[in-house]
Amino acid sequence: MSQYKIIFTGPVGAGKTTAIDSISDIVPIKTDAMASDMTKKRKSETTVAMDYGILNLSNGEKIHLYGTPGQERFDFMWDILTIGGIGLVLLLDNTRADPFQDMKFFLDSFSEFITNTTVVIGVTQMDLSYKPTIEEYHTQLQYLGLKPAIFAVDARVKSDVSILVQALLYSLDPGLNHNE
Amino acid sequence: MSKHKKPLKAVLHGMDARLQRNMLLYFQNVCEDALVVVSDAEAEIDMVDIDSSEGQNILKQLQSEDFNRPLVVLSRNEVDLDNILFILKPISLKKVLSTFDRLRFLVDRQKSKKEITQIPVEKKATNGNILLNLKDKVSDSKSVLEIRTDIVAKEVPSEDNNALIDNDEIKKVSKHKTAQQLNENRFASFIGMMMDIDFNDEAQLADSSYSPRDYYQGYVLATFKVAKTKGRVLQLNSSWKPLLIFPRSNEVWLDADDQQLRAFSSVELNKATGVKLSVSAASTELQDIKQKLECFYDMDAFIWKLAIWTSRGRYPEIIDVKRPVFLLRWPNFTRSIITPHALRMTALLVHEPKTMLSIAEGLRIKPQYVFAFISGAYALGLVRQPMKTTKEEDEVVVSRPVAISAKKKGLLSRILSRLRS
Repeated sequence: MSQYKIIFTGPVGAGKTTAIDSISDIVPIKTDAMASDMTKKRKSETTVAMDYGILNLSNGEKIHLYGTPGQERFDFMWDILTIGGIGLVLLLDNTRADPFQDMKFFLDSFSEFITNTTVVIGVTQMDLSYKPTIEEYHTQLQYLGLKPAIFAVDARVKSDVSILVQALLYSLDPGLNHNE
Repeated sequence: MSKHKKPLKAVLHGMDARLQRNMLLYFQNVCEDALVVVSDAEAEIDMVDIDSSEGQNILKQLQSEDFNRPLVVLSRNEVDLDNILFILKPISLKKVLSTFDRLRFLVDRQKSKKEITQIPVEKKATNGNILLNLKDKVSDSKSVLEIRTDIVAKEVPSEDNNALIDNDEIKKVSKHKTAQQLNENRFASFIGMMMDIDFNDEAQLADSSYSPRDYYQGYVLATFKVAKTKGRVLQLNSSWKPLLIFPRSNEVWLDADDQQLRAFSSVELNKATGVKLSVSAASTELQDIKQKLECFYDMDAFIWKLAIWTSRGRYPEIIDVKRPVFLLRWPNFTRSIITPHALRMTALLVHEPKTMLSIAEGLRIKPQYVFAFISGAYALGLVRQPMKTTKEEDEVVVSRPVAISAKKKGLLSRILSRLRS
């Protein structure tokens, strides 16, 4: 049986682990460790290998949800994780110093995967920092020649993450119908 | 004296006297005093040149101090530092100014966390309200509702009004509330009543449009446009409830529930007698606003909802039903009402123009869903109609050019069903 994956990526603290937790049918498997470097300023524990969750489908199929480690020194894993991926969910933390720089970095790092599939972007922590606005993100994306879905997201809220993933699927094929 | 009202106060590190002097001249003359150099005790931000002999050590030291202040790094080499702003040398003015904007935001946010800003009570308009003149046509802008802003009285500077917003963002629960995703059945009850139209009848098709300027929607949009242009908080007054528009933070404040707003939005104000609207400077007491932070809404989410209720399954008359439309970008659907098939329609229309009826036909959905959706997107300024119609544009295409196999299509549909269950 084919292994289908949805990949969640983004910088440290953007909410990848939480987003997977919100929609997974199993308790996600986490590979957290105590943060010991710059990361500890943002969170006490961080993902060092990957997070893993599952979406069970009606016919018994499973969709694997993988979260990449946010720290760039683990970027050698990113290519491996994306093999067989349906698409990319990029989460960005709006309270970080330069979310646009984060966005460009991850879009660039996953550019080949995005070209072959598609990407959607969720901006977290907008209730703490309302700037940059979603419109400003769109303006930046315009410079990059991209028009992905980009939404404000609370990674703890299942429907937020669900809507983001739905947008990913419709971006792959607007003709999809959930009743089929 | 500084040309900027609020110059950033920076302390420079890792720069010798000559470089410091050059940087000072650059900030003064080229950046028009957007940043001033101060002592460490007064500084709001740290700026480090990491190319200097001590630069890397200073950076490490500052990082170990738990980032008390926003930090910006200068270097002639691309560096990727976690959570630190970076400017590449030779310095580009555009990059410097955009970095300063971000720094100003971070500094203000940090300050607002530390202290509760004293907010002055706004002064009421003294020379009366301004009647809205709706003689002009609305367009996307081809023309706009006219508001006589020349006599808007004693507007409060936007900075003062926004102090409140910056402090209390997290308490604005309505603004950050997650979206409702409506199926066809729930949409019918959400919208109240939907126009039932026979689309094979040309006359009925023509009647299925509406003019936003005849409704509350038109007045809100026009007021928002003026508020945005002037950079002022404005209040739209009616015999109903005052609506406050905060252009800088893109918010509205309205003390009314959805049922009330839906009812008011469906009234044709130009035909109704006794309904007068006017625009004034904000006159609602800030104390009232502070006590009802749940009445703040994101402007886009508010306009989207208002347009869908006003539309009731019709489309804005300015849109030619026979010509294709396309979308400039995705609406922020996690914070807006998701009307039936809205995600599908958006995915389609951000890639290629389609006529509204061809969308309905291609996705096998009622045209009213397309019209309501287009009404919302149009109100947000996201809809465009290309001038030329080609045969290709009229063809019904419901998939991206990237070929999706039938097997994969089935899989993606099953994931969708699972997510929506």
